[in-house]
Amino acid sequence: MKRLLGVALGILTAIGGFVDIGDLVTNAVVGSRFGLSLVWVVVVGVVGICLFASMSGRVAAVSGRATFEIIRERLGPRAAGANLAASFAINLLTLTAEVGGIALALHLASSVEPRLWIPVAAFAVWLVLWRVKFQVMENVAGLLGLLLVGFGVALFLLGPDWGELLRQAVPPSPPATEHVATYWYYAVALFGAAMTPYEVFFFSSGAVEEGWTAKDLAQNRVNVLVGFPLGGLLSVAIAACAAVVLLPAGIEVSSLSQIVLPVAEAGGTLLLALVIVGIVAATFGAALETALSSGYTLAQYLGWSWGKFRRPARAARFHVTMVVALLLAVAILMTSVDPVAVTEMSVVFSAVALPLTYVPILLVANDPEYMGEHVNGRATNALGMVYLVIVVAAAVAAIPLMIATGAGS
Amino acid sequence: MSRDDSPPTGVRVVDVRLHLLSRQVLDVDGEPVTTVDDLELVAADAPEDGRRDAVPGEPAEVGAILTGPVLLTRLLGGRPPASRWEPVPWSDVGHVGTAIELTVQADSLDVHWTEDWLREHVVGRIPGGRHDPEEES
Repeated sequence: MKRLLGVALGILTAIGGFVDIGDLVTNAVVGSRFGLSLVWVVVVGVVGICLFASMSGRVAAVSGRATFEIIRERLGPRAAGANLAASFAINLLTLTAEVGGIALALHLASSVEPRLWIPVAAFAVWLVLWRVKFQVMENVAGLLGLLLVGFGVALFLLGPDWGELLRQAVPPSPPATEHVATYWYYAVALFGAAMTPYEVFFFSSGAVEEGWTAKDLAQNRVNVLVGFPLGGLLSVAIAACAAVVLLPAGIEVSSLSQIVLPVAEAGGTLLLALVIVGIVAATFGAALETALSSGYTLAQYLGWSWGKFRRPARAARFHVTMVVALLLAVAILMTSVDPVAVTEMSVVFSAVALPLTYVPILLVANDPEYMGEHVNGRATNALGMVYLVIVVAAAVAAIPLMIATGAGS
Repeated sequence: MSRDDSPPTGVRVVDVRLHLLSRQVLDVDGEPVTTVDDLELVAADAPEDGRRDAVPGEPAEVGAILTGPVLLTRLLGGRPPASRWEPVPWSDVGHVGTAIELTVQADSLDVHWTEDWLREHVVGRIPGGRHDPEEES
């Protein structure tokens, strides 16, 4: 019974923890402009993150080595250093977007100016990083994030023409008004949002934090293979809500209030309130994960002691790194930059950095010195190779598409 | 060892680039210490107190794991003066696996000074800095 409860909890937190500000914004933007014609990208992205998150979790559980230690060990100081610079910068951008997202959600709920919420949100994030037990932190954020199911409820309440939604999705039929390059630009953005590298940094380091061993592999697999696809469904629900309400009205999403507009329309104040709590929890959880990831990546590259399971004084440089990252995020937000715009940037740059992270994971997952009998099976490797091609294609295409489309405008 | 000598059976061959460089170094309690940024080579069979630099053509052995400023020069080229090296003596190494395991505690090593400094002057002074997160608070 206790075991079953553990499995259920793992799955629920994986669902609630899947969606972050990147998924929220990108799915709403895409839904409002392209309907459901990009849903296939969410599917491709979810399968990809399942594959690599479970692989990195398996490597961490079996060998005790987290992802960035492996990146450094396989790529050497130079290439890994380049990856570190890129990942750290993107991670900082994502952290900025998440903290901004918390502030925007709290602004929606309270109508207190977001800039007043930013330092409060960042301080709260730090306090949790400083004090709260890893598992408590993960479970609370994940479970409250489940309230985003409100988007699914809203979709049913809206009573859309399901046939029409399905027609948009398969075969993918983008609206004739949009340029084909813009379509592909958003495909890359959506892919980057689903596969953001910080998720594997966090996932593999989390396995070390929770002291996973080879015995926990089954649980790991269930969490990922059930939780992430269901989390992906939340993403689709967000896009579908936008496709049903915002697309016909010709509203292009540029703020959080527009993202939740369909929810307010369908479910009134109560559903809106629940969804806002869900957004706060999801962005707060992701802010914790990205802040931790900034510490994980730097500490693992340089071999410092890291982890929330240690006393802060036993991982001093790790904790200082996270504080600095949070302060930088606050500083960026205080320039009045639009968090939604920061989010859109961060997901595209995530796509650029993907190969440098995923190649070493795939290599080490095949190294018997690390993995013993738990090396990748043939099917996993075949799928891994397919995704390597996709990831490289997305990375190469991202910047040219960004320039060609003027960042999707 | 000349090129076509195959290693005697029972002896483990360690590839420096693959098995040593950039590996995580753990102390005797499993605490992370640093990463192997570079290695110092010294002449083999030199007496303990009279260490000599390795000479081409003569047997050499690993003297120490280097870290700290060496990383920067490995990235950008050049070589820091020996006074700025942060070495972990090879004699402290107990096992070479997927991590390098030492036989001493991290706190006893000079390379650990940045961590110790931040611990004493910053992190340890913030309330809760020495609180064990796994304990009920």
